Amino acid sequence: MEFGPILRSLLRNKTGALLIALQIMVTLTVIVNAIYIIQERSQHMTKPSGLDEANITHILSIGYGESFNAEATTDNDLRVLRGMTGVADATVINAIPVSSSGSSNGYMVEPGRLELAVMAAQYRSDDHAISTMGLELIAGENFSPNEIVRHEPGTARTDTSVIVTRAMAEALYPDDAAETTIGRIFYAADDTALQIKGIVERLQVPWPSADFAENSVIYPEIELDGGNYYLVRHEPGYRDENLPRVEETLAAQNDTRVLRENQTFEQTRTITFIPDNAMTSILSIVVSILMFITGLGIVGLAVFTINRRRRQIGTRRALGAGHIQILRYFLVENFVISTVGVIFGAIMTVALNMFLVNNFDLAPLQWYFVPAGMAVLLVLGQLAVVGPAWRASRMSPATATRNI
Amino acid sequence: MLQMTNIGKTFLTGQVQTKALDQINLEVDEGEFVTITGPSGCGKTTFLNIAGLLENATAGQYLLDGEDVSRLGDRQRAKLRNQKIGFIFQSFNLMPDLNLFDNVDVPLRYRGLGRGERHQRIEEALTNVGLWSRRKHLPAQLSGGQQQRVAIARALAGSPRFLLADEPTGNLDSKTAAGVMSLLHEINAKGTTIIMVTHDPVLAQNSRRNIDILDGQIRDDARRNTAAVA
Repeated sequence: MEFGPILRSLLRNKTGALLIALQIMVTLTVIVNAIYIIQERSQHMTKPSGLDEANITHILSIGYGESFNAEATTDNDLRVLRGMTGVADATVINAIPVSSSGSSNGYMVEPGRLELAVMAAQYRSDDHAISTMGLELIAGENFSPNEIVRHEPGTARTDTSVIVTRAMAEALYPDDAAETTIGRIFYAADDTALQIKGIVERLQVPWPSADFAENSVIYPEIELDGGNYYLVRHEPGYRDENLPRVEETLAAQNDTRVLRENQTFEQTRTITFIPDNAMTSILSIVVSILMFITGLGIVGLAVFTINRRRRQIGTRRALGAGHIQILRYFLVENFVISTVGVIFGAIMTVALNMFLVNNFDLAPLQWYFVPAGMAVLLVLGQLAVVGPAWRASRMSPATATRNI
Repeated sequence: MLQMTNIGKTFLTGQVQTKALDQINLEVDEGEFVTITGPSGCGKTTFLNIAGLLENATAGQYLLDGEDVSRLGDRQRAKLRNQKIGFIFQSFNLMPDLNLFDNVDVPLRYRGLGRGERHQRIEEALTNVGLWSRRKHLPAQLSGGQQQRVAIARALAGSPRFLLADEPTGNLDSKTAAGVMSLLHEINAKGTTIIMVTHDPVLAQNSRRNIDILDGQIRDDARRNTAAVA
């Protein structure tokens, strides 16, 4: 192995090699952080909501005018929706999971200890919420119909029973298994006492990138403020057929309201993640272009140095180098350059990630991204140089005696 | 040691066939100092390339130490070049980014010798040409004559069966050239066979044996009893 002479030769002829090492350093820094951001976004986008997503649709009903009766309309809408062919169940709710819009609150195990508050989304719905969303009740009980409160705007909240997610129970009582927290009382930020009646396995909050993405509390309340989301779970195979019928049916019940957002849960997801999808697409393109340019740079340098050293290669062949030794020379040379690039690139990668963590609320990079990125660029370098190096290795030893 | 029978070399350029060498019959014995002369384009360099296993003949048989090397594969030819032949080029062909030590080391590494043996051979070869003290220098820091001495050291370090020199004094002034020729004669006097291509009629006249090539064929193969050192 000619590692020593190659290193010494590179040190005496630095410019081209340094430029490539610099390019590799920048590429590693950008691609590792970009891929990490892509992966983090993808995790948000694919995180399960806990809902029976394939069969759920929702529609927003907003009443207007003095004659609009929120309570009567809600009761009638729910009765009609639940009676539709192909509808498994329907409920009214204040916010749609993964939709980017909803309300949150801080919750404590002791009243007044706001500094220890656990953040969670608050959903207000009825005893059909679990069935409609297709949630898995892992402990306790569902609400009974007679404990559902009709809540007029502006009235104070009262102590009540709630259903929480497993993640919420574990956040409130980290030392206990979630199933053992049934019956315990915790407090909302306004010191309202809330008793855990049931626990569901999972129900995502409306904001997928929130760091409390699975902390949810369901209140047995129907808000009578004129604006209702209706969640509808359809029997398998009925969703697409029923989607327009839901709007037509509700529109026929009442002409003092507008209906909007009649969409499937899949559409809700797509709309919510438009910015994330755009960002991951742009970052993927940037990563691909950077990798391509770096590959081209390495090929370019290899072709340039090989053309510049044709006589040297011929001389080496004359002095006894076989094809493999010439090929190995350029592969080792590229490995040395790439190694310098990836070592400095690793340092820059961590530095950029620290900057992003401090300024853009990004989670710290998982350690294995750095060595994985280094390995990918080392392999890219070897792949890029193997073509020119192979052609060099086929050069005739008689090149040594030609005037070139 | 070196025996060529009916060696020919034809180049094909498009539809045109060019005979660079035709019916070359030649024997070189161990310890000889042979000069090859002839006008430009007569086939001297092609002869040297074939003798040095840098390219294959298209006709004839070439025996090296009794072994037929006419049809060997690239790997075997590379191995034979490395072990049996030392090359000295007109333009020295040193690696500009390597110091003298590393330059002489190049063929020894290809032979797969151990670090200690390589060091010993390099020291001996550079000492023989008077440049051991400058082993850390780069070729560009030396004069033309000194660079050619390094090339000679590189050729000798592998203890080859014979040296092939392609116009070794072609890029040197007459005084420096005389020094290099003196060194080559010393090496020959110690038993190393040398085949040297040259344009210089004085060098040719002073060698024990001169082969004159014209149009790819041997025109004259003259042997003399004594040789003067140029």
